[in-house]
Amino acid sequence: MSKFLATFLQTYSSKIRAKSFIISTLIIVLVIFVGANFDKIIDFFDSSEEVTAVKVEGDEAFYSQFKGTMDALDSGISVEPYEGDLGSAEVHLSIEETAPLAVTLHSDNEIPSEQVNKIETALGQVQRSNTIMALNLSEEEAQRLNATPDISYDIASESGSADDGGSAPGDTPEVNPLNAVVFYVTVIVMFFIIINYASQIGTEVAMEKTSRVIEMIVSSVPPVTHLLAKISAMILVSLTQLFIFLLAIVAAVWIFDFGSIIGDLGLEANEQTATLIVYSGIYLVLGLVLYLSLSAMLGSFISRMEDLQQALLPVTMLALGGFYIAIFNIWGEADNMLVKVSSFFPLFTPFVMPLRAMNAETSQMTLLIGVVILIVSIALAVILAASIYRNSVLSTSGGIFKNLKRIRKE
Amino acid sequence: MTLELSGLSKSFNGQTAVDHIDLNVPTGSMYGFLGGNGAGKTTTFRMILGLLQPSEGHITYNGEKIDYNVTNQIGYLPEERGLHPKLKVDEQIRYLGQLKGMSKQEVDKRLDEWLERFEVPENRTKRIEKLSKGNQQKIQLIASIIHDPKLIILDEPFSGLDPVNVEILKNAVKELNSRGATIIFSTHRMEHVEELCESMCILNKGRQVVSGRIDEIRKDFGQKEIIIEGDHDISFLKDMPGVIDMKQIRNRYILKIEDESYAESIFNEIVKLGYFKRFQVNEPSINDIFISKVGYGI
Ligand SMILES: Nc1ncnc2c1ncn2[C@@H]1O[C@H](COP(=O)(O)OP(=O)(O)OP(=O)(O)O)[C@@H](O)[C@H]1O
Ligand SMILES: [Mg+2]
Repeated sequence: MSKFLATFLQTYSSKIRAKSFIISTLIIVLVIFVGANFDKIIDFFDSSEEVTAVKVEGDEAFYSQFKGTMDALDSGISVEPYEGDLGSAEVHLSIEETAPLAVTLHSDNEIPSEQVNKIETALGQVQRSNTIMALNLSEEEAQRLNATPDISYDIASESGSADDGGSAPGDTPEVNPLNAVVFYVTVIVMFFIIINYASQIGTEVAMEKTSRVIEMIVSSVPPVTHLLAKISAMILVSLTQLFIFLLAIVAAVWIFDFGSIIGDLGLEANEQTATLIVYSGIYLVLGLVLYLSLSAMLGSFISRMEDLQQALLPVTMLALGGFYIAIFNIWGEADNMLVKVSSFFPLFTPFVMPLRAMNAETSQMTLLIGVVILIVSIALAVILAASIYRNSVLSTSGGIFKNLKRIRKE
Repeated sequence: MTLELSGLSKSFNGQTAVDHIDLNVPTGSMYGFLGGNGAGKTTTFRMILGLLQPSEGHITYNGEKIDYNVTNQIGYLPEERGLHPKLKVDEQIRYLGQLKGMSKQEVDKRLDEWLERFEVPENRTKRIEKLSKGNQQKIQLIASIIHDPKLIILDEPFSGLDPVNVEILKNAVKELNSRGATIIFSTHRMEHVEELCESMCILNKGRQVVSGRIDEIRKDFGQKEIIIEGDHDISFLKDMPGVIDMKQIRNRYILKIEDESYAESIFNEIVKLGYFKRFQVNEPSINDIFISKVGYGI
């Protein structure tokens, strides 16, 4: 068996069988299944019952006014006079005062908030028209009181889309909700996978170094081969985990009719969706490779396991930076300067480029340049990691900078 | 068919750690590296294995440079011991064996034999971090020889073991050697070299002080040791010509003489006094050679 394969399989199988892998996978799969049943779970905890009728007690005039307003609101709730008994889906409205209006609403069950809103709106309208009457306003005066302001928009927008009319003008581009969901899922998954696996490979490399077994290993296999095998195995582990999640999602859709929920939420693909999904996948994998290579290199610098978190701090901070830039700019002005510039900074590219892929104005060229930037940086990171790995794994002096200095000298 | 080091030097940041070493390790021999702390033994081994680049000079094995094409024939026990703490013994050995080109089945079979030999078969499925230091060291030794290497380099293999385990290990090393492996090891213990090796070298502060076959080193060294045991006072002997040093332990005297030719006159001198239980001329010990060449003992 080739030495690459030996390291690769050993790392892969030991990571796949690790408790942390199994537990984290199970938890996420569980979350997916729970999420797929979200509507049912809400129903389960929701003890409120649809109200079919409001029984009104008191003032006759109020009763007919209220009934008229409720019917006009098309609420699906009938208004009846109260006769001393209350059914399970009925509420009791008793009038204590009419000017100003004071009522008590009694129900044996919780009332869905939607229906409470309807009743409140109707009561408000009754109150207002009563007030208008009490003030003796003329027809015209009453209308003026109810008039809505007439606002016309004149906002200078870069793209000039404000002149298109139709959709509501504003400075935020329309974000397709399905694309937003895909984007959020990609960026969040990418962030957690990168943080998780970057720290795992850092730990793995540092453990081999601090336990000194590395000296036996590099006397058998070239350090570069070993490092590449480790990184590849780790990538395959993370892809395995992603694949399991994907399977869980497919299973959830299939078993629990998740598709209808997506339909209910009004998520629809547009012409950018395919671009977004394809590039998100590419950036996810490339970002993972880049971050894993860097973490492996950083892990090889330390001499004590205690220093690991500190050594990995740059990776964590950069991933966090990219993550925030991406997440906080989705509803903002599309492609602002920060987004444009940071999308070409290799360590931010995997997070920020999917954001740009969502925007129809971003050219394919830009997206491809992002891919090229990542591939070049990965090549550089791997070459750098490999060239200093041999020296850094055998050195015992602490500190990243000391190590870099020493390695440059040799 | 030998391992040859010629003009081998290594300096770290301008400090010389190994200074022009020339050595020849014959195939099938057992070769000892002696030297105090910081003498350059570990650095030399690392250069042989290609873990460090020599600053000067070169190394050949069977006439060729050592690179990753021949590492399958080499076994190495590093000075700084350590295995992956989270792996089980068999997982770790299997992995290291596979890195030497072995199949899983081969590793498993040999691992059983070796664990049996080292009297630790119960450790097979234990996590390495749960083993005692000495037992970890045994496992690591197994890892370095499981692929039946032709050249075995052991950096202080006996340090940190109890006497029983030192014995077990010595026997294993001897057997590997008798099956044809060339073995190089470093140590601070003269008696291990005395007992095991036919060739050796002594390093001091990076310089090679002596090297070659031990019997020849002894012969060239010239000095002999005489042990005299008896009830007479013979302290006057220390002023005799050729006597370098004399020590007395109760009624036993140990003399060092420049070479064997002085032994006869000393013998003639003491028989005049009467009966002596013992008069024995010994080859110089490696300890003596070490002290006289390096200037201090270890
Ligand atoms: N990585 C390194 N960087 C700088 N100096 C080093 C390095 N490795 C070894 N040295 C120096 O080289 C010299 C020889 O060290 P080496 O470890 O080879 O000695 P040794 O004979 O193995 O000693 P010991 O018996 O203590 O193991 C020492 O002075 C040491 O300080
Ligand atoms: Mg040493």
